[in-house]
Amino acid sequence: MTLSEVVGVEGAQGDFTVKVKQHPRYIDMDKCIACGLCAEKCPKKVGNEYNEGLDKRKAAYILYGQAVPLKYAIDAENCIYFQKGKCRACEKYCPTGAVNFNQKENIIDVKVGSVILAPGFKPFDPTVFDTYDYANIPDVVTSLEYERLLSASGPCMGHLVRPSDHTEPKRIAWLQCVGSRGINKCDNGFCSSVCCMYAIKQAIVTKEHTTGDVEQTVYYMDIRSHGKDFEKYYVDAEKKGINFVRARPHSFAPGPDGKGVKTRWVDEQGVEHNDEYDMVVLSIGLEAPADATALAETADIRLDKYRFAECDSFAPVSTSRDGIYVAGCFQSPKDIPQSVTEASSAAACAAITLAESRGSLTKEKTYPPEKNVSADAPRIGVFVCSCGINIAGVVKVDEVVEYAKTLPGVVFVENNLFTCSSDTQVLIAEKIKEHALNRIVVAACTPRTHEPLFKDTLREAGINEYLIEMANIRNQNSWVHGGEPEKATAKAKDQVRSAVAKAGLLAPLEYLSVNVVQKALVVGGGLSGMTAALGIADMGYETVLLEKSNILGGNALRLNKTWKGEEIKPKVEAMVRRVESHPKIKVLKNAALKTAVGSVGNFVSEIEVGGETLAVNYGVGVVATGGAEYKPTEYLYGHDDRVKTHLEFDAFLDVSPHAAKAAQNVVFIQCVGSREPGRPYCSRVCCTHSVESAIELKKLNPEMNVFIFNRDIRTYGLREDLYTEARRLGVIFVRYEVEKKPKVIKDGDALYVVGDDHILNTTLKIKADYLVLASAIVPNQTKELVELYKCSVGADGFLTEAHPKLKPVDMSVDGLFLAGLCHYPKPVDEAVAQAQAAVSRAGVILAKSVMPLDSIKSMVTNKCDGCALCVDTCPYKAISLTVYVENGREHKRIATDKALCKGCGICMATCPKQGVDVGGFTMNQLKAQVESILLGV
Amino acid sequence: MADTYEPVIIGFLCNWCAYAGGDLAGVSRLQYPTNMRAIRVMCSGMVHPNLIVDALRKGADGVIVMG
Amino acid sequence: MSAKKLGSVMVVGGGIAGMQTALDLADSGYYVYLVEKKAGIGGVMAQLDKTFPTNDCAM
Repeated sequence: MTLSEVVGVEGAQGDFTVKVKQHPRYIDMDKCIACGLCAEKCPKKVGNEYNEGLDKRKAAYILYGQAVPLKYAIDAENCIYFQKGKCRACEKYCPTGAVNFNQKENIIDVKVGSVILAPGFKPFDPTVFDTYDYANIPDVVTSLEYERLLSASGPCMGHLVRPSDHTEPKRIAWLQCVGSRGINKCDNGFCSSVCCMYAIKQAIVTKEHTTGDVEQTVYYMDIRSHGKDFEKYYVDAEKKGINFVRARPHSFAPGPDGKGVKTRWVDEQGVEHNDEYDMVVLSIGLEAPADATALAETADIRLDKYRFAECDSFAPVSTSRDGIYVAGCFQSPKDIPQSVTEASSAAACAAITLAESRGSLTKEKTYPPEKNVSADAPRIGVFVCSCGINIAGVVKVDEVVEYAKTLPGVVFVENNLFTCSSDTQVLIAEKIKEHALNRIVVAACTPRTHEPLFKDTLREAGINEYLIEMANIRNQNSWVHGGEPEKATAKAKDQVRSAVAKAGLLAPLEYLSVNVVQKALVVGGGLSGMTAALGIADMGYETVLLEKSNILGGNALRLNKTWKGEEIKPKVEAMVRRVESHPKIKVLKNAALKTAVGSVGNFVSEIEVGGETLAVNYGVGVVATGGAEYKPTEYLYGHDDRVKTHLEFDAFLDVSPHAAKAAQNVVFIQCVGSREPGRPYCSRVCCTHSVESAIELKKLNPEMNVFIFNRDIRTYGLREDLYTEARRLGVIFVRYEVEKKPKVIKDGDALYVVGDDHILNTTLKIKADYLVLASAIVPNQTKELVELYKCSVGADGFLTEAHPKLKPVDMSVDGLFLAGLCHYPKPVDEAVAQAQAAVSRAGVILAKSVMPLDSIKSMVTNKCDGCALCVDTCPYKAISLTVYVENGREHKRIATDKALCKGCGICMATCPKQGVDVGGFTMNQLKAQVESILLGV
Repeated sequence: MADTYEPVIIGFLCNWCAYAGGDLAGVSRLQYPTNMRAIRVMCSGMVHPNLIVDALRKGADGVIVMG
Repeated sequence: MSAKKLGSVMVVGGGIAGMQTALDLADSGYYVYLVEKKAGIGGVMAQLDKTFPTNDCAM
């Protein structure tokens, strides 16, 4: 439901009635074929919000080229007809009569069991900072504008130019924390979490969008590269020559003739600098959405002081109203992987709430029985799409149609205005039946987006869905050869001929599926593992929870409070009790995973528990093997009891607060074992932990001196408030460089920390009553597990996710998910969110008793002689060598595991004798395509 | 001759990257010469050396495997 | 006796978070209504040029 907003939420969990206001689109979605004529004819130009107003769109518009739904809309606020009473040009030219100026706004009631709010964020508007003069200096742009300037689909087609004179900038500066970490002019005390990384990314990719040398400088307060592989990216950026300057330019002025930007700033030694740049990018922060307050009132949920949704660390996506969940930046500013994680987490919460009604409102699609055409001679039908004017405007579609009729095996050819439209699907199915077509060629756009649609049409028509071949005459022809209609038409004919040649050889493929064992195995009984087990069990699936020690709870048992101040132990203890008494969870303590075979939907493992071996059959696995605190070897740790790690100091604070209170000087040292050679990653949680402990010490005894030696303080997101609070309480932050770490010395009985103070330019020597080392988080050993599942692991020892942005909880092996510290260091709330996300991802598989698989798989042919060359080259270990006896003689032959095979065909390319083929891409089919293309030569 | 030479190039394009890139070039309306004829494969790793030799033998002026 | 719960969910917001939530739920057997204020879904991520660390295209 686009152009819609929620205006009321009545009822309660399980039975909400949501009022949705639908704004008129003035275009009938069923009739619109996205030909673009309305926009072409529309005389009114308005700022294009997709490109941040850097170029124009029309009042009849689509958001962007790949928009979903790909349907135009009329923007009444700018439409000449709506504003002045006449025009209606779009209506005149629309070929399908889709324009409807009489559409009215309407409000509908929608009944749902749960509501998830993911309204995103509002990019900060920097016009309030008058000294940056964003409003008046053309070459001061926001980071989002810069993103569009870089983009290939942006206003300058990916070739970067500055706004003032459209020349390529050679010196570019980024200014961090604009609208974040400041309460001057805006009330955004929080850190937006993502700007450091996007600025570094922009600085790096700028090189790809410009010619010749370019100089990039990032002005920052602290670089916050606290995510997985972020620190490495930052270090690489430094190596690539991007300048990082710890300073904050205070004012900008336009350069000569209003081009470029003059900046003024003061360095740490108090020296003033005047620098000129061709362009300055403001790294704007992420605020709560503009309508956050209204939405919160409508949904009746509580917001925090920054208008983000209020959530508990142990229920990080649950709002204050039961059944309403939140995901993404509305919860707090965050990056893409964290948003995607929370999205799945919110899905899990809703799914658990409504577990009893799963499947009640969805229905499975059914198809007619399939006609076996494998033995029949090809009767090929060719459908050539005009795609409005997208194809027909360049390629002479009539000629292609006539040409296709001459090709061998072709018995039917037709041209459609839009082959993909729903009425054409009905037509194609009719033609298949009428002309007994048994192979189909669609000459249109790309199979990557449209083949699934046509496959479905084939099934509807009663033939195997793999009997189709597409010729991509739009994306890879008319769109890229706009000025050469003759050559484009010739190419289109070649494409169709090649597709027909392949189609003639297409064979029906067997639909593959696996029976899903509706049971889960969770490895690791810490906070993440328990959360995952509880979630999956609450969805109604049996779960086996494997823990290597004799106690559930993991590291969480040793933590005192979350950064929000919630007590951790009571929550974890309650969780342990729930896990142990849950009827669907079987807990195995002192257990070790010994074997793992099978694949998604059907794994089998042997688990050793107390000397006995137990076999477990499961459909999905969640890996939550956790991590541990690094035991330092530096700073006299282990040589003096007053030198403690965070967890040790937490225990000390818990047990002897009086002793802690009596201390005069407490020193923290950050990045112990993190962000240095050997362990180059940032451990993410230690800055917040130290700041939190420092505040607690200051509250115990305001007279105490608390020092935090740090390299950058990374209290990201709303945690920034703690950093502000610590400074307010007088905690002293001293920065050090990695080449010049502080020294810890013992003089008699006294313990001293010696380090340089950058600001005062002197050496500090502090007599420390306690020294707390913010030591790194290291992943637990997962070598055996990685070998068992053949999953992947990164250089730092953390398990690797399937995609760093879009699949942050899926592992590289289908059916396995990860959560918690085994993936990367993270605090309680994020560990819980990731575990809940794993629940949702696991639930997607467990929801089906039978799971369809793609049929494009390797198939052994009778030419295989068992040479086994392919066994080693298969990247998925899907091929094994088998022995069979025929006529009293032993023969060898390979066998492929369809569940593991991904159809990459490396086996096919390796095989010297065509002993293995890939369905839908056989050697003969590819050869036929090659030969057919070259017929024209 | 040099002006009218139009080589025929066979391109094997991996469905997940190069072919997708080809599609994106279309979406972005990047213009390029018409000489390449693409064959979609599920991975550039499935392109058997024989296919390449075959193409060259049958008259292709060039073969490009992208993945 | 309480009435049976509804097997449908409304997701408000069609950005990356909303879309992922909707996909997960739809794939798990729930009917999903995805509500978006603008004329199309995609959110801010669709405006981004590339994403690190792989520098992949955001589209």
